[in-house]
Amino acid sequence: MYIPHSLYQPGDSWLHHLHPLTKLVFSLAAIVIIFSGLGGWLSAIIVGLLTMLLLWLAGLAGQVVRSIFQLLALLTVVLFLVHGLFNPNNQTILLELGPFAIGKEGLVFASTIVLRLAASLAASLLLVFTTHPAQLVQALTEVGLPHRLAYLLGSPLLLLPQIAGRVQIIQAAQQARGLETQGKLLQRVRALFPLVAPLVFSSLVDVEERSLALEVRGFSAPNPKTSLNELVDTPTQRIARWAMMLLAGLLLAVGIWWRAYSGY
Amino acid sequence: MSLKEQLRKDFSTITLVLMAVAIVLNIVLGQLVSLLKLPIFLDSIGTVLVALLAGPWAGGLTGLLTNLIWGLISDPVAAAFAPVAMVIGIVAGLCAKYGLFKKWWQAIISGVIITLALSIIAIPIRVYMFGGLTGSGADFITAYLLATGKDLFSAVFITVITDNLIDKIVTALLAWAIVKGLPKRFTSRFPRASAVID
Amino acid sequence: MVIDVNGLTYTYPSTTNPALKSITFQVQSGQLVAVIGPNGAGKSTLCLALAGLIPALFHGQMQGTVMVCDMDTQQHAPGQFAGQVGLVLQNPINQFSGMCYTVYEEVAFGLENLGVLRELMPKRIDQALQQVGLAELSGRSPYTLSSGQQQRLALASILSLEPSVLLLDEPTAMLDPQGSQDVFEIIQRLVRAGTTVVIAEHHLEWIAQYADRAIALVDGEMILDGAPRDVLSSPVLLQAGIGWLRYTQAAKRGQAYGLWPTNYPLPVTLEQAVTGFQQAGLISSEPETNDADPS
Repeated sequence: MYIPHSLYQPGDSWLHHLHPLTKLVFSLAAIVIIFSGLGGWLSAIIVGLLTMLLLWLAGLAGQVVRSIFQLLALLTVVLFLVHGLFNPNNQTILLELGPFAIGKEGLVFASTIVLRLAASLAASLLLVFTTHPAQLVQALTEVGLPHRLAYLLGSPLLLLPQIAGRVQIIQAAQQARGLETQGKLLQRVRALFPLVAPLVFSSLVDVEERSLALEVRGFSAPNPKTSLNELVDTPTQRIARWAMMLLAGLLLAVGIWWRAYSGY
Repeated sequence: MSLKEQLRKDFSTITLVLMAVAIVLNIVLGQLVSLLKLPIFLDSIGTVLVALLAGPWAGGLTGLLTNLIWGLISDPVAAAFAPVAMVIGIVAGLCAKYGLFKKWWQAIISGVIITLALSIIAIPIRVYMFGGLTGSGADFITAYLLATGKDLFSAVFITVITDNLIDKIVTALLAWAIVKGLPKRFTSRFPRASAVID
Repeated sequence: MVIDVNGLTYTYPSTTNPALKSITFQVQSGQLVAVIGPNGAGKSTLCLALAGLIPALFHGQMQGTVMVCDMDTQQHAPGQFAGQVGLVLQNPINQFSGMCYTVYEEVAFGLENLGVLRELMPKRIDQALQQVGLAELSGRSPYTLSSGQQQRLALASILSLEPSVLLLDEPTAMLDPQGSQDVFEIIQRLVRAGTTVVIAEHHLEWIAQYADRAIALVDGEMILDGAPRDVLSSPVLLQAGIGWLRYTQAAKRGQAYGLWPTNYPLPVTLEQAVTGFQQAGLISSEPETNDADPS
């Protein structure tokens, strides 16, 4: 099902068919390893390349690279600029531009950050691109996520298009009454309350009726819940998940020890 | 009251529905306000609302889940700041609990406290994960501070505070006004709301 | 006795005026009871009280007792009523779980909550969908349905729990005439099959035709309780602002002109009106075939 603003792309790749938890564990393990700082930016490069390989095998590499670019391009430029010029650790001058000097330490710092971010983003996008959020919630429920938390994760997804739709309506109605949303700062500030207030109040009004509907459908009944659907899982994936978790934990521990002892 | 009972009371069905709606409000309002190009975000108004009506833990969880969900469907970067959003909810709830949300000027003070608290949590995330920068206009401030010789931590701290102060004060005021304006029949379902309305 | 309400007086928290005052009535199994009254009379409050949601969720002050399916609403949590008592509200969309992407899953929601075994679910879901006529739409998203279909889905998601008592609080308020008609027909079928139904409604015409009993609430008090013909033709309804059906008004006016037999009960349905006018000699006992005859 289509979710607005969503990065999820329905598809048929082998990644799409993996159990959601496998992908979740992969993403989290990858991020942990990347930020454990092991080997400086080496862990970022290795994990990043591994992730890109997996994505390439699924035919999604191009899309992921495009997304990473969109999300990080501006930040990358700013990082290199600001740290190249102003990083307090700048000692080695590489280039002088008038009163400004570009320092090596700043550039190294910026590139480490960018590499780590790009690799982490790739790992998260592997999950996000190929997993429908509702399936992730279902997967978590199967391993014991309490149904109340499952509700908190799952229902905003369906509620989002509904309330977002109201924004259009309220905006149109207020503009018909002469509300200015462009123009000077003061005008835009004034536009704020007539847009925000109806949205908030109309959403809150529904809260009571919704909660009653949940109650009469047994939401707060204390018995264990059952589930209509069941996700497909394989022993291979289960083993793989445990292996990844162990590996990430191990590398994290090593990374912390290494930092502590080498005064990174 | 045992912990389990207190949890069940704090997370009643109506609180859960409120939280789900608040999560969506956070996302939708954040988007709406960014269209208006104002120097505020209003993307934690739902969080503060929940904190005022249902307490710090519900508020904290609302903030946390907002960022996780938004990270899952649209912008993974947001997920990194989930702890910041959580702190906003927890601190707002604690301010309300200790009587700092009864009058409008108290709401302003709470907004300041929230800003300080979130800045503390935001700094390590910003510095270690993002090199202190965001790709937004606030980076000019950081750059300027770095150029004048400040270290990265201080520069980021000052930037985060300046960036967030107005937004959190406005958010706190709006949330306070909304809770005050809600019908009694609604707020009576939330025992903790009495810290704000009575 | 499936529903036994005794001296029910209920005041919402932070209010002084009780929403319900000393309500007493019983409902037998399989009855269709309609509750009428102006807005704010307490119809919704009564539905919530019968569903066991008041006082458990709303607190406030309650006197008297409400027993539904042999359970005292002051002694049992709402979750315990869920499989026995169903409640359908006005706004279809607010009744969706918000977690389900298809009609089929939505109907399963309650079953999952009550811990029904997966193997037993398809039969109950199919049955509920049949009852409301949505079997062909089981794969659709609930949010793409018409409001009438959505309300039928809300109904189905309650019916899958197989409640013996069904409460409805103005279920057709947000529906168009066809949607309302569909809902009413489902209720009629359910009553014929043995479900006890209590419905708060404004559609006096349908109530007159199909309800076994009508209760009138005004300002929290039960002012009338009896057969629809008696209740809906009582002058008390006019004072209370609920009003009369057109047939009743016409017959009443007609009495003054000898067009309606004196001391003859006022009609609340078309058939009753026709019979009464026949009695008064106004119409011959043989209806003429007439193109303009609406019946």
